[in-house]
Amino acid sequence: MKVKVVVGLAVVVVGIILGAVNFIESNVEYMDFAAAERTSKKAQVKGEWVREQEIAFDAEHVKFSFYMKDDNNRVVKVVLDGAKPNNFELAESVVAKGRFVGDEFHATDVLTKCPSKYEGDAEAVKKTL
Amino acid sequence: MLLGQIGGMIVKLAFLSALAAAFFYYRGHKENSTRWVSFARGGYHLATLSLMTSSAIFLYLIITHQFQYTYIWNYSSTDLPLSLLLSTFYAGQEGSFTLWALYTSIIGVFLMQYASKNDYEPEVMSVYSLILSFLLLMLVIKNPFAFIWDSFPNDLLQTGPVPAGISNFVILDAAKNLWARYPVEGKGLNPLLQNYWMVIHPQILFIGFSSMAVPYAHAVAGLMKRDYNSWIRVATPWSVFGSMVLGTGIILGGYWAYETLGWGGFWGWDPVENSSLVPWLFCVASIHTTLTQRKSGAFVKTNFVLSLLTFITVLYSTFLTRSGVLGDTSVHSFVDPGNWVYWLLLGCIALFSAIGFGLLFSRMKEMPKVPVEHSFISREFALFLGAFALSFMALFVAIGTSSPIITSLLKGKASAVEIMYYVQTNLPLGIGITFLSGLGQLLWWRHSKTGSLLKSMLWPVLLGLGTTALILLMGWEEIEILLFAFCSAFSLFANLQVGYGIYRGNPKFVGGSIAHIGIAIMCLGFITSERYDDKATVSLERNKPVEALGYTIMYTGYRALDRDRFAFDIEVVKEGIRRTVAPSMHFSEQSTLRHPDLINFINKDFYVSPVSVEQAGGPREESMTMLKDAEAQVAGFNVRFIDFDFNAFERGAMLEGKNFVINVHLLILEGKRKQPLTLKMMNTESGPEFTAATYVAADQRSYEFTLVRIIPDREDKSQSKVEFSVKYPEDPAAIKKSETLVVEASIKPMINLVWVGTVTLIVGFALTIIRRAEEAKLQAEKWRKG
Repeated sequence: MKVKVVVGLAVVVVGIILGAVNFIESNVEYMDFAAAERTSKKAQVKGEWVREQEIAFDAEHVKFSFYMKDDNNRVVKVVLDGAKPNNFELAESVVAKGRFVGDEFHATDVLTKCPSKYEGDAEAVKKTL
Repeated sequence: MLLGQIGGMIVKLAFLSALAAAFFYYRGHKENSTRWVSFARGGYHLATLSLMTSSAIFLYLIITHQFQYTYIWNYSSTDLPLSLLLSTFYAGQEGSFTLWALYTSIIGVFLMQYASKNDYEPEVMSVYSLILSFLLLMLVIKNPFAFIWDSFPNDLLQTGPVPAGISNFVILDAAKNLWARYPVEGKGLNPLLQNYWMVIHPQILFIGFSSMAVPYAHAVAGLMKRDYNSWIRVATPWSVFGSMVLGTGIILGGYWAYETLGWGGFWGWDPVENSSLVPWLFCVASIHTTLTQRKSGAFVKTNFVLSLLTFITVLYSTFLTRSGVLGDTSVHSFVDPGNWVYWLLLGCIALFSAIGFGLLFSRMKEMPKVPVEHSFISREFALFLGAFALSFMALFVAIGTSSPIITSLLKGKASAVEIMYYVQTNLPLGIGITFLSGLGQLLWWRHSKTGSLLKSMLWPVLLGLGTTALILLMGWEEIEILLFAFCSAFSLFANLQVGYGIYRGNPKFVGGSIAHIGIAIMCLGFITSERYDDKATVSLERNKPVEALGYTIMYTGYRALDRDRFAFDIEVVKEGIRRTVAPSMHFSEQSTLRHPDLINFINKDFYVSPVSVEQAGGPREESMTMLKDAEAQVAGFNVRFIDFDFNAFERGAMLEGKNFVINVHLLILEGKRKQPLTLKMMNTESGPEFTAATYVAADQRSYEFTLVRIIPDREDKSQSKVEFSVKYPEDPAAIKKSETLVVEASIKPMINLVWVGTVTLIVGFALTIIRRAEEAKLQAEKWRKG
């Protein structure tokens, strides 16, 4: 019986450690470009797409690039590993996940945040009258 | 009175009668009186009938395009084909709660008869009716029949006489001259949902969710009746049914994601997927631990806890995905439904946890204590470890999905976990679970002799090693993946061996082995298709064959499917056999949706996902909108918008309708060079004329600027904007290029194993339901005889 309790406890402890370590490791923190530049870890930066600056799509390497301004108004070129994200033009803000490579931010993921549904709805209702 | 008002009232009636049924059933339990029970039955049937009626009204309003209702305006439109139109019933929050409640009420009608035969009706149905009444409470608070003028009073409510020529209006109060306009067209169904999966997948998922309430109701009923053992026999057929249906729903969702949504795989660890996986895992764990209780009477408390958790995690999952609490950390855009869902769902979780665990705690002392008699090498211990691992998996997935809540509580800022988290935590558990699902079948109850165990393990281990070696031929992988492959194959062969033995003895008992075989095959399919896939991003110039992944691929052109959907025809040739795939893209106002296409071979899928389409040649043109004094980069230089030139003399001319000119002054900054540039717009009687201005850059290439329009702001001049276009110089390299389609092609080896495994698993579940239902029937007959 005692052996089983010990084995059981050991399994639980190992499980908790496994979960906790991975949870902390894989939680990508939000930060600004300045902090993202300092860390070697993967970072999430929230900001705005700078519409006035060039956007480009490199079809050969499937890289989409645009300029993004973080909350401290720093503008950095973001290179996304992939095509233009859905709802990109509509987004009021974007979140890029990735790391700095030189002075470019290389993102593995760019999430778009669309304006809250209800703002648009009053307009939409007028259109369908 | 409008039909929707009637519908709303019927929903309220359904809520009240379900609540009354819960109360009457409870009295029936307390006083052991059949009179209360027959009242309760009446209440329950009234609730079901009302809910069916209100659903029928709702469906009628949808089919007849009654856009006076916010929900119908929000999710449907007149151009949808009938099947999709019907599916808009559950496209949004209120409708999907209606569907959930509807299925719950219908399942309850069968449950009532079943429970009555098993002498469990007052207890099971009082809990179940309470659950139904809470689902209905959501519909009472958030009415699916809300009128659009109540949702948008500022835009739609009007007073005074109705102007001539308007037909889509309702007079709300003739005395006060109050009336409302309503839309003639709806916003339509989200294009992502516009396919046949939408018709079938949510229905199955909600039947699964609804049946997950049954084990909970039985567990609470067992506690109420102080029956700590036989309730599991009554509950098991339903747990297995729930697992079968919910499991099917989950996999169908995965197939939808793979085949239509273009996630590239069938599982993305998305909150919506995870949240249906968690209750499924708990339910499956409980099916395993009840096996031990049947045999030796152990795990009494564990079985209560797992059955309670099955339903409570359904509620928690609903809370995670429907309350908006995950906010914007998920790829799915969750519409913020307002505070009501949030608090009501939290309240539900608290209430049903309190009922279940409170009762469990108060009965804990009187529960039979069964000393553990099994050894380490016994089926009991394997079942225990397996259920333990399943529960841990459920917890890990639940915690990962809750990460935004946890991190915002701990750090004040919400962040989601990466997919890596789920892989790292679930892979070791998956290895353990698959191994135990094979080993457990080879073990005897109570104790196995090491010698006979090793002997029975011989073939499964050898064949498992052989399968792993075959997989290794495809390439090296991480050691954990190889271990997972070995354990899955071991489980497959162990269950084949044991299953064959059982089949020869009593074919009815073979369900468990078949279900394990299904899971093992699925796991092997996960490994080969996800870990041994081959990917390539290919640029396909029109009509030029390209070699990729061992295939010759050629893009032959596109065709319009409808106004904004285009299919891209691609020829795929291998060994002289020509096939075609046609992935498509949907260019809507808001976004571009990409739909993959695939060729299904017996041993692999060839999967093509469109990335982008680059239009043919011609110089590039780009338009930009700028604020005053703003600067933008064009190629190697910057453009600054200085001002409009819009003088008083010309304003006079504009008012008189004469020709006038507007100048827009730009400043080009290239290195140290500064050069002003003026764009002209001349307004003539025949419309505006634009004069382009050319800038020759330092590299001697010229850029042409044309004014598109000006957007003056009279209140705040600094907010005035200008829109102009820039034509880039012809790129000698680009001219030769014709239209190019960029696709991501991939090969998913042996993906059919996933689907074959799924079907096998469902068969296994179905056989188990039959066996366990017979067992429950026998128990009921035994009771009746005394």
